[in-house]
Amino acid sequence: MAKEKPIRSGNRKEFVRTNVPAAERVAGAVILGLLVWIGLTIAIKGRKFDPNLYTVRADSLASTAAAVEGKSQTLAAEAPAPAAAETPAVTATVTATAPATMPAETTGEATGETTGETTSPAATPAAASDGGDGNGEAAPAAPAAPALPSIPMEIALPGIKPMSPTEFYNSDNLYEKIDGRAPAYQGFNVVQLRSRTFTVDAAPGSYVDVYEYRFDTPVDAFGMYAIERDPKAAPITFAPDGYSGEMGYFFRQGAVYVQVMASDQKPETLALTKTIAENRAKELPVDDHGLAGRRRLPSDGMVEGSVTYVPEDAQGQSAFKDVFQAKYKAGTVELPFFIMVAAPDDAAKAWQSFRDFCGQFGKTEPLPDVSGGKIFRAQVFGKWKVVYLRAGELGGVVDATDTDAARAFVEKYLRGEIK
Amino acid sequence: MSSTNEAEFDPETGDPVSRREFLLRLGLTGALIAGTGLAARKLWQPKHFVPGFEKEVGLQLRSYAPEISKVYPSLAIAHGTTHELTIRAAFAALGGVDRFIQKGDIVMIKPNVAFDRPPALAATTHPDALRAVAKLMFEAGAAKVIVADNPINSPTGCFLKSGLTTVASDMNLDLMYPEASSFAPLQLQGEILKHWTFFNAPFKKANKVIGLAPCKDHNLCHASMTTKNWYGLLGGRRNQFHQHIHSIVSDFALMMKPTLVILDGMNVLKSNGPTGGRLSDVKPMNTIVIGTDMVAVDAYGYSHLLERDIAELTYLHKAHDRGLGNINWEDTLHKEVNA
Repeated sequence: MAKEKPIRSGNRKEFVRTNVPAAERVAGAVILGLLVWIGLTIAIKGRKFDPNLYTVRADSLASTAAAVEGKSQTLAAEAPAPAAAETPAVTATVTATAPATMPAETTGEATGETTGETTSPAATPAAASDGGDGNGEAAPAAPAAPALPSIPMEIALPGIKPMSPTEFYNSDNLYEKIDGRAPAYQGFNVVQLRSRTFTVDAAPGSYVDVYEYRFDTPVDAFGMYAIERDPKAAPITFAPDGYSGEMGYFFRQGAVYVQVMASDQKPETLALTKTIAENRAKELPVDDHGLAGRRRLPSDGMVEGSVTYVPEDAQGQSAFKDVFQAKYKAGTVELPFFIMVAAPDDAAKAWQSFRDFCGQFGKTEPLPDVSGGKIFRAQVFGKWKVVYLRAGELGGVVDATDTDAARAFVEKYLRGEIK
Repeated sequence: MSSTNEAEFDPETGDPVSRREFLLRLGLTGALIAGTGLAARKLWQPKHFVPGFEKEVGLQLRSYAPEISKVYPSLAIAHGTTHELTIRAAFAALGGVDRFIQKGDIVMIKPNVAFDRPPALAATTHPDALRAVAKLMFEAGAAKVIVADNPINSPTGCFLKSGLTTVASDMNLDLMYPEASSFAPLQLQGEILKHWTFFNAPFKKANKVIGLAPCKDHNLCHASMTTKNWYGLLGGRRNQFHQHIHSIVSDFALMMKPTLVILDGMNVLKSNGPTGGRLSDVKPMNTIVIGTDMVAVDAYGYSHLLERDIAELTYLHKAHDRGLGNINWEDTLHKEVNA
């Protein structure tokens, strides 16, 4: 009889179990039943997608977050995942003061601008979020900001020294620097904050903070600049939109809203603050793209601090976008005057649409053309509107109580008698 | 002795395995197990919370509130020209600092140092306010005064530029910057705040807690005063609470039961808050409000210092409705004095 080969791994003897215990059969049946139940559940539940099914429970992750999470040192280099529904409420209408002197190189550059050149801010009327109280609840998520190169801020001026490295923040982590103020900037599509502090050699203990907020477009930058503007401050001449406060300079240059702030009111510090502000205005590229309407608002008679920018739905008209308006003194009355610059076809459609709208709720009449501008006058709910259309420019006086003053103002503007 | 009786067999080929080979394999297996154990030990996080596997139990702050007095006011409003005189007058109206601080106490002062702004812009707790309060604490016999806040951005820069570092240095205050080890998970049954990382280190030492906040406009929740001030104790990506800002701020009235809160309304940031940036945003109001009920203190601040309609301050109404304070400050025992 041949010696039987031992059973071992790799060469197992095959056999068939014939005596399976009842308990094992029951357990197998239960497992099979569970599998069928799971399969059916998946099939039934899968017919209707539950968006909350895989939502991350932020609170369950709370204690796993390291204490350093959220620090600028760990987040500045790479953008964190945007928090849901972070977009804030910002008012659609923003205020500014009398126009700054328009640089010669920008005069008239806006002729022929089209609506496509400006991007309306993400800002929507405050009511879109929470009924206008500004707490941002239920607001839509902000789009992710594109990454910008992190170029250190070097200011080659005598009398100052960098106190710290340049700091960079994007739209998503801007709150790290300005916390609750960040949502207002995000509403105007802020892309990057670059900031740096400089000590003042002549005034020990003093420093100057430079904040450069870069936005998607010059219009966005203007919008945020205007919302924070001090209506009583003195305009500056070295930037297209800007003013000086008691401790700093605030202006827009291109798509950048610049804040240069002194730590105190020592004369040496304030002098250097101004020098730095002038340097930044000079170094940053000039770009008034999309601000044609702002540039065309006349300064004669403008009420200080009355400039407003309405990104969309101005005068309740969906066709009125990127509208700039201001109030003007005309004798004893105040006239709200607006300008919108668009492609000629779009401007013509918007003008006609507004005229039809006024006709629906009041009465309109055409007025004689003035210097190539078509004009209509309307009385709606007891207030007067005198609205003109000339090439790609639409504008006029609205909600006036004195129709003669409104008409005279518009005609003078079209004749170039109001600068 | 037959070698076939003692030899192990290779599982693949069925051939015998030599003693050397067996020991080698045993050694490798042992090393692998030991390595796995060491790696597991290194990666092990004792406090790691895995949802569904362990019930998280976090920190629950105790109350630092004083006993309710039927004799002394719980709210004092003082008007004056300097921080020290006005704060002294307010404490005197409350019955004196001794009512709250005893000899040997370790007092934690929570300023608002959220930004690296200079004091003149009123976006942070004014150094003169901290100096005055700390001085009063020491006069009352406090053994130590801790100053702590968790600015998201560069704590050292914020404390330095706000002028508080200088005060801490001058008065030998214990300035505590947030570090990784300073935080602990907080447990609260708040409306929004349930579990969150909390700047706990100062509370391990202090037996009295005072909130010292500026009175200022806030972009998201209308106003940042003594209740909102506790926001600075949260860690992590706390900006996600901005979506529910009124709920989270009202939760702070549940989270903190301080000894006192002090609202600095000497210079009020009336617009463009919480950062400000222009002196034109700031208006002198020459007032200090001290109280044991942060809701009452803030109610006065909102209506009389920010000069706004209290009806719009949702978080304060939420706190009042939850019984966490009294928004009707006039109904509390209060006293108004001139310094």
